[in-house]
Amino acid sequence: MMPVQITGMMVLQMVVSGLLAGGLYALVALGLSLIFGVMRVINVAHGALLMLGAYTTYWLFAWFGMNPFLSLLLSVPILFVIGAILQTLFVHRVVYAPELSSLLLTFGISIFIANVAMLAWSADYRSVEFLTGSFILGQIAVSKPRLVSFAVALGLTGLAFLFLNRTKTGKAIRATSEHRDVAQVCGINVRRIDWITFGLGAGLAGAGGSLVSVMFAVYPEMGQIYVFKSFLVIVLGGAGNYPGAFFGGLLLGLVEGLASLFLTAQLSEVIAYILLVIILLVRPTGLLGGRT
Amino acid sequence: MMTGVLGLLLAAVGGLAILPLFASGYLISFTIQVFMWMALAGSWNLISGFTGYVSFGHVAFFGIGAYTGGLLITKAGWHWLPAGLAGCLPAVALALVIGYPCLRLKGPYFAIAMLGLNEVVRALVSYFEGFTGGGSGVSLPPILSIVPVYYAMGGVAVAVTLLTYRIITSQFGLRLLSIREDEIAAEVMGINTALLKLYAFLLSAAFPGIVGGFYAWYASHIEPLSVFPLLTTITMIIMCLFGGQGTVLGPVLGAVLLSVFQELVWARFLFVHQAIFGALIVGVVLLMPRGILGVLQERYRLPRTI
Repeated sequence: MMPVQITGMMVLQMVVSGLLAGGLYALVALGLSLIFGVMRVINVAHGALLMLGAYTTYWLFAWFGMNPFLSLLLSVPILFVIGAILQTLFVHRVVYAPELSSLLLTFGISIFIANVAMLAWSADYRSVEFLTGSFILGQIAVSKPRLVSFAVALGLTGLAFLFLNRTKTGKAIRATSEHRDVAQVCGINVRRIDWITFGLGAGLAGAGGSLVSVMFAVYPEMGQIYVFKSFLVIVLGGAGNYPGAFFGGLLLGLVEGLASLFLTAQLSEVIAYILLVIILLVRPTGLLGGRT
Repeated sequence: MMTGVLGLLLAAVGGLAILPLFASGYLISFTIQVFMWMALAGSWNLISGFTGYVSFGHVAFFGIGAYTGGLLITKAGWHWLPAGLAGCLPAVALALVIGYPCLRLKGPYFAIAMLGLNEVVRALVSYFEGFTGGGSGVSLPPILSIVPVYYAMGGVAVAVTLLTYRIITSQFGLRLLSIREDEIAAEVMGINTALLKLYAFLLSAAFPGIVGGFYAWYASHIEPLSVFPLLTTITMIIMCLFGGQGTVLGPVLGAVLLSVFQELVWARFLFVHQAIFGALIVGVVLLMPRGILGVLQERYRLPRTI
């Protein structure tokens, strides 16, 4: 391989691209973190839900030419309902069971959803060609779809925080995640909080999928990689630490961006993995602290 | 009861031992598949069924064993039998490197770390193109007869099953089960859980490595996509769950039943078949988390060591 001179501009470019990607990771990971916080369930089906969000946007765009960012108004509620149904039918039965059960259960759900999607829509790669091109700022190129997606992701994350901090239901979710039994004793209907949380988590995954579809190919197994990434993000930020998920997302984007510059894009996943294992060992509560 | 089961088993093993003398090529190759799944599901059982630490990336050991076998045969000119057996070495080495840190992680952390592991190993195998052939993989000389592979795979399946029996009747096995039931309590009782989990993990990685090594020879061609598929991990898990996790014959039963179903009913429709596997996992987890044998053990008071 030809050695390439790495300039400060290139580093800055990767920092910007990395952060843009990171905003999206933060949004997707927040959903996983919420569900984990409240139910101690790692929802392995999170990626499959993201994929459903992406297809919602794709079909609305393909059939009606709907603006993909407007389609969030549909993908989020649709995924909320799917999440709430999954919770009520399946997941609530394993909330108190050993982790093995909930992991395997959501793993099974994930495989099921992905393969039904393959049957229904084939394994073809599809794309939503809506925004293309880049803004040029000095010597830095910022892709338009990424920038808009980042802004929307940030906005949605902000809304989610407002919901968690200001509304009664949001506070109940945080209380349940702090201490499930105490919350119940205090009169919070945790069963209700469970399905709202799962719906919310799925809705956030769906929103992430809608935003991903503007930038990358849409196909049934597209979500798989996001399960691992979201998990990495909540480990970085501290499990059950919701602001941590936000910073963890940006951090992962940054690390990936720089890894692809200094190494190769192919190995950035390997770097992310090594990072995960090291963090888990050194600071199991996450870089920003959290609950174990 | 126990002697009846034992007699039945001996008859089955005896029948299988002479099967290649009269069976068709199709039946032999089908049985090779079943042996393969018995060994793989049985290996998954050793770590996940016994300790409750779910491995979502077990196919990584199979894949790395397949590459070892394939490369030793093509590049070093080894005979397929030692090359296949050597598949266990890098698998165990990988398990040691990854198990030492990861097994200290609790429940979900371990599971997702293993999910990542398979992707990472696959990425590395594709990356070192000069050595592994990258995306186009490794082509091996065609095999003349599958009968030796039949005995080799059968041998691994029997070895895993015997080892599982040996473990479940030992203190080691009881201690592993105590980790599954309540790890903190086990630790408080003075059990060195970290070391025991690591032993189980190493054993559990060795057999997929060997199976992978034999598979490379049997399949004549390996590539990253064919030896690291998530589907292989899913199949191991569902066979073990379906038959009964943490039991000796559970993985055997699961492998036989699901292989037969697969062959008869849904093999031609890949996505349907995977979707059914997904639905089966959900169903088994919710309706009979202990699997067929677990239910039988409960209902008919069968011995725990079956």
